[in-house]
Amino acid sequence: MDQKTSERISNIVKFIILLVCGTLLMMPFVWMVSVGFDRTANITMPFPPRLIPETISNFNYGIVFENGRLIKSYINSGIVTTSSVFLQVSASLLAGYAFSKGNFKYKRLLFILVLCTLMIPMEPRLIPLYTLFNSFNLLNTFWPLILPTVINGMLIFLCKQFFDQLPTTLREAAQIDGAGEFRIFFTVYLPLAGPIAATMVILSFIWSWNDFMWPLVVLNNQDLHTVPLYLASFSLENGTSLGGLTMALATVSILPIVVLYLFLQRYIIQSIALSGVKGE
Amino acid sequence: MAQINENGVENTVTINDNVETIKSKKRKATFTWYIFLLPSFIGILLFMAYPIVESFRLSFFKSNGTIESFIGLRNFQLVLTSKTFWNTVWNTFFIGFFQIFITIPLGFIFASLINSVRRGQNFFKVVYFLPNVTSIVAAAMIFQFVLHPEMGVANYALNAIGLPTSTWFSDPSTAKWGVILLAVWHWIGFVIIICLANLQAISPEMYEAAKIDGASGLQQWLFITIPNMSGTFAFLLITGWIGSLQRFNEVYVLGGPNGSPARSIQTMGAFIYERGFTGFEFGIASAATYIMFVIILIFTFINLRVSRMQL
Repeated sequence: MDQKTSERISNIVKFIILLVCGTLLMMPFVWMVSVGFDRTANITMPFPPRLIPETISNFNYGIVFENGRLIKSYINSGIVTTSSVFLQVSASLLAGYAFSKGNFKYKRLLFILVLCTLMIPMEPRLIPLYTLFNSFNLLNTFWPLILPTVINGMLIFLCKQFFDQLPTTLREAAQIDGAGEFRIFFTVYLPLAGPIAATMVILSFIWSWNDFMWPLVVLNNQDLHTVPLYLASFSLENGTSLGGLTMALATVSILPIVVLYLFLQRYIIQSIALSGVKGE
Repeated sequence: MAQINENGVENTVTINDNVETIKSKKRKATFTWYIFLLPSFIGILLFMAYPIVESFRLSFFKSNGTIESFIGLRNFQLVLTSKTFWNTVWNTFFIGFFQIFITIPLGFIFASLINSVRRGQNFFKVVYFLPNVTSIVAAAMIFQFVLHPEMGVANYALNAIGLPTSTWFSDPSTAKWGVILLAVWHWIGFVIIICLANLQAISPEMYEAAKIDGASGLQQWLFITIPNMSGTFAFLLITGWIGSLQRFNEVYVLGGPNGSPARSIQTMGAFIYERGFTGFEFGIASAATYIMFVIILIFTFINLRVSRMQL
């Protein structure tokens, strides 16, 4: 009896600690939304800071949407993200399958090579990639943002792990029926790859939507700016002088990811835990 | 087989034919597998291997992208004797160090709490992980306002509960701490999720055995949970350092390419960006990237050794 009550108390204490810290963690988001809806905040930030705006108004959002650049950047991000997700996921499925079920020379060596790519950061590649795309006259297009995403060691690794779990007997049965490797892949294994494909789509969507450094280098033309670039340029131009507008903009910019996250959080958390990779 | 092929060509025609077809079949099969790998390996060659090699070559040249001249090791000498560069190294390590050694213990404690609490586990997972999926660029912008020295909600709260306030991003002496706070906030969800996944993998039998021996909850946590998590900590330490050493996005948003105020938050990544894309000194930037690359490799190696992580 005594132990039970003490356990109960410790449980309640833990719950309260988590709730308080969780609220603190959410504070920046709450404040962002609140300032975005504050009528006065587009001129000066309210002081003392208030969590509920004096008058709730969509004034800031009105301006943010009227200025066509936000919508344009949304469209740009949409184009880049969809293409890059498609390319990355298809290439990783193909490669992951080959590394799992394939039987060919240098398989191990090639796989190690794929894993090595995980350790190569963006910085040493920045300038050569820039000059490479420059020499093909592809700067200020979306190609440099889409094409290099074709290789993603993490996704290939995840994919291989997934196909490893699927039985090889399926292959053998199909082989006896006379199916070639591509047929086997497309008709037997690909339909079974739904869960891993979904995971990869989520992960690569988040990475691609949030990507910043490389687009910053490649896209000088403001009309082509993706959402994070537009945000950053807005912030650098206006500093802290336009609080409400900036916060309204930040809210809209993270909305797709937040909505995606809230709907798919269980899978996102699972896949992050599985892949153990930082999604930036 | 090969010997038959060479010596008995005439009297083993049929066998020879068979050997040829099996061989060619095998070759064809291998070829098919290479087609599966083709997109990825074109990617590796073009967007990984080539840039790494080209970057190495460029580091020995004075180049702005069009005009090049060989200058040997002068770029390296220039970078290694540059006070600005060493300042960025210091900033990068300073921010990385505090980010990592605040976030990992804190995240682990939160993960343990979430793991042991009866209700609301899923709710807490969602809340604590949310910052990590949102873009660091947006997060940096939000923090610019949250940590605003005069109008920010953070200082207001500190003041209200009687704690000293800070100048945060507006002063070189405190700007790094603003970045650290942002980095901790953004990374902690990741640490929690990884810890949670591994906490649940510890076998419950160990806890039962300890319970029978009369170990308290805290004792179990100290003597079973923590030792069992060493692999996870090593993983977080290594990925944390690799990420930290590449830091760029948030410091660019907060301080521009030269990390104002007074270069106090300029990182190695920002130095490379500044030299490469605002100054178009590709050779110097390339030399800096190689120095950074080597720093990352050495540091990862040391981390692997220290944490005794098995690859």
